[in-house]
Amino acid sequence: MTEEDTKVTFEENRNNRETTVALEDSIMVKGKAQTAASKILDGFIPPFSATVCDRLSRRGYKLIGAGFMDEFGILDLNIKDRPAPLGAIASVKNGSCDFALCNDLFGSYRREAAKESLFYIHPTYGTVSKYGLIPLASSMDQIGIVSGNLKKGFDLLSHIGGFDEKDGAMFPEESYNYKNNSGNITLGLSNSLIEMAHGDSKGAILDFAGKFNVINVDLKYFDLYNRVMYILTSAEISNNFSRYDGIRYGYRAKDYRDLDGLYTKTRSEGFGPQVKLAIIMGAAVLSKDYYSPFFEKAMKLRRLIKNNLDELFSGGMDLLILPTKISEDAYENLSLYSLPQLLGLPSVSFSYKGFGIQLVGRPKGEDSLLSAWEVAMA
Amino acid sequence: MAIKGSKEGGLVMFPIKKYERMVKLSLKGDEEEAIEHLANRLLKSFEDIRSVDTSKTEALVRVLDVENHLREDEAHKTVDRENLLSMAPMDQDGYFQVPKTVD
Amino acid sequence: MTYEKVMGLEVHVELATKSKLFCSCSTQFGSEPNENLCPVCAAIPGVSAMANKRAIELGIMAGLLTDSEITRKISFDKKNYFYPDLPSGYQLTQFFSPICKNGKVLIDSPNGEKTIRLKQIHLEEDAGKLIHDDWTDTTLVDFNRASVPLIEIVTEPDFRSPEGVIAFLEKLRSLLSFADVSDCKMQEGSMRCDVNISVRKEGEKKLGTRTEIKNMNSLKAIAAAIDYESKRHIDVLSGGGGDLVQETRGWDDSLGQTFSMRGKEDAADYRLCPDPSIMPIVISDLWIESLRDKLPETAMEKYDRLTGDLGLSDYDSEILTRSKNLSIIFDKTLSFFNNPKEVANWVIVELLSIAKGDNKGEDDVEIDCEKFAKLIELVDNETINRNVGKKILALVLEENLDPEEYIKKNKLGMINDTKLIESVIGEVLAENPKALEEYRGGSKKVHGFFVGQIMKKLGGKANPQIINNLLKEAIEKGI
Repeated sequence: MTEEDTKVTFEENRNNRETTVALEDSIMVKGKAQTAASKILDGFIPPFSATVCDRLSRRGYKLIGAGFMDEFGILDLNIKDRPAPLGAIASVKNGSCDFALCNDLFGSYRREAAKESLFYIHPTYGTVSKYGLIPLASSMDQIGIVSGNLKKGFDLLSHIGGFDEKDGAMFPEESYNYKNNSGNITLGLSNSLIEMAHGDSKGAILDFAGKFNVINVDLKYFDLYNRVMYILTSAEISNNFSRYDGIRYGYRAKDYRDLDGLYTKTRSEGFGPQVKLAIIMGAAVLSKDYYSPFFEKAMKLRRLIKNNLDELFSGGMDLLILPTKISEDAYENLSLYSLPQLLGLPSVSFSYKGFGIQLVGRPKGEDSLLSAWEVAMA
Repeated sequence: MAIKGSKEGGLVMFPIKKYERMVKLSLKGDEEEAIEHLANRLLKSFEDIRSVDTSKTEALVRVLDVENHLREDEAHKTVDRENLLSMAPMDQDGYFQVPKTVD
Repeated sequence: MTYEKVMGLEVHVELATKSKLFCSCSTQFGSEPNENLCPVCAAIPGVSAMANKRAIELGIMAGLLTDSEITRKISFDKKNYFYPDLPSGYQLTQFFSPICKNGKVLIDSPNGEKTIRLKQIHLEEDAGKLIHDDWTDTTLVDFNRASVPLIEIVTEPDFRSPEGVIAFLEKLRSLLSFADVSDCKMQEGSMRCDVNISVRKEGEKKLGTRTEIKNMNSLKAIAAAIDYESKRHIDVLSGGGGDLVQETRGWDDSLGQTFSMRGKEDAADYRLCPDPSIMPIVISDLWIESLRDKLPETAMEKYDRLTGDLGLSDYDSEILTRSKNLSIIFDKTLSFFNNPKEVANWVIVELLSIAKGDNKGEDDVEIDCEKFAKLIELVDNETINRNVGKKILALVLEENLDPEEYIKKNKLGMINDTKLIESVIGEVLAENPKALEEYRGGSKKVHGFFVGQIMKKLGGKANPQIINNLLKEAIEKGI
């Protein structure tokens, strides 16, 4: 749970290829202690490995631990800028691995990858198995890739993606291959949003966009994305985390007096403040007082957001271009990273002319993401 | 519909203790204050979604609408009983153990 | 002042599936605690709930059997609360889309045939079992039952008497067990019933304060609990003092009373919400019709067939259709030896009485029906006599031996040799002059004594009809 890199080396398979992939501590490896950087999982040893690990091992990749992560990957609302990057980012940056896998629910990895001049690939929801991923919001979680090279990152993605019967929420395709589709790409750009982009990133974004057809788009509910996002993710997190109670595995408090004490002491000692906040907020939005005005409303607003994006995609937009930072405040920036989770869309982030840029595509539209980068670099 | 809770200097306070009990958490001192502060901020921001007209809109529950992902009714073991019991922080004679439940 | 009882039921029924509702763990009554446990039902992170197709089908069938509307698109919802028997801290249930709605069940009540309306039937998972350990004063948890599939059947408050409630539960049991939806055994916990009860003055339209009673483990307990609780309500309402509040009350069978469980359920906010990670299930017309076609004969249809086509008595037919197990034994045996009256008689009279001696009843007696049929045939065609048949039946039940072989090996064939029987009759009459006098004097009892003695001398194998006839002749002839 500290910021030191804890390198746990586990060789699942030996091969000529020494391509190394770092795994965030929320991706399970059978027989290896796993905590997702939380005390509540002290002593937890998974009885099975994540499907992505099995798939990588079979192809001869070497797997190592990625080091520091936010507790469970939950957004720290107090964070402005980290003193040191997240473990998955750092290990790719410092060369201890070629790629890293993580679950970027709140956009921290997308933002930091771009900041460190790396790439982050967030695949279409339902194309990569979540079996063995310690879940936050299972209907929005997706394992993504930190990479130093976008094309190679997509190659890796094709090695881990594809239908897995052990994950109940997947598309049926057995495998995916990603290639430059060399078509004409139209970028959607929101002028009002670009105005909010931090620093001189506006210039970089316009420069990048200039290499493509550009249409101006209106993201109708942009300001509300983060509200919808936090309401829906905290609700799922709150429910998914009720299982952490010290009874069947993980941390269990000492010195409790009764059953209620067991639950309360275990959970109060086991979780950090941001996790507690998410659990409490999730319970609140689902409670009798707030279900209708907040949770149900957020689900409806999610539909409106989908309708808006559907209209844009069918109206000629192939990719939406977004900045990676519009505020010093983590909650405000959350709106920038919400669309892929709320709508299951693929996304990449990268650095261009020193500034972070995100591209968001249609479901299973990863080819366009790769193509756009290659066009821009040509 | 106003947010439930007590008013304090115009800002409606979140009934945090009620929700702590609901999710089996007990917050103290600085931590409680900090979380309460963030909770209030979040709730206030949530209010903004209420002004959107969703009267004719159906809720979107999930983005992946694959239907009928069903499993055949066959029984087979996946993990050894010993394996699962060995993870228990407290167990006795093959049972998981908790303080007495009042029933 | 007469009061009327108004009651509604919530019945939980365990579905007869091989595996649990969301994982492949066995639902079999495990001997070892926590034998049937996996990462899904133990709520280990990182796994997906996978809905059991058969459980859905049994839910649909329950709907068909109760004339319910089948919901065409169903999904599962989370009901959140903390309790040690609930691994994930939420129960998966169907709050927003119950699989069946607006069904009905017809019962015979004290006031004639009555329709009990069903509000809904929905699927949900069961919880684990808690056992108190006196030695350590702690609670032990066995998760074998966690996530076993259940349907919850909710009725409208249409009941007015405990007899009606019992009749409903028996009818429900008949419907569901004959269709193999569930074996509905209250004593094993595969059927549980909570009763919502209120009372009001006769003629009143408004409903009174309602209480819910739980923990009744038998039909008898349900009737007793209803009696007690309704009296308690009436006592309070007619000025007897005490509290009548809406609450949950537990039934204590040993004390014969209900007690307040206030505080357990009432304050709970279950935060019901859809589970977005379980995909919805679309139930097509085709699926429903294929299940309807495959529905086995109901107990009522069977009863009509037995009394109609097969000409059996109402009494016999009722017994043969009370238990699915017994009805199967009857049908199967009949398929090997097509004499309904004989088979019925042997099943009802002989089989059940021998089974009773082994502490087995209609629901759990087991026998090889082909052998049983053979045995009935051998008695019917007078190869052996009925008493020998009964003895062999006990052996077939116990050791599953082959009747024909056993008869051959032990030379148990019926003795029809009239000369032999006559001579034995002569012997017995000569050996018992006093009894003979009594018999001539008109004592019928002595007749039985003589038959018994004659049969004994003939190793129990003689044809009783022949004995009777020849004995009568002998007495008349004045031997």
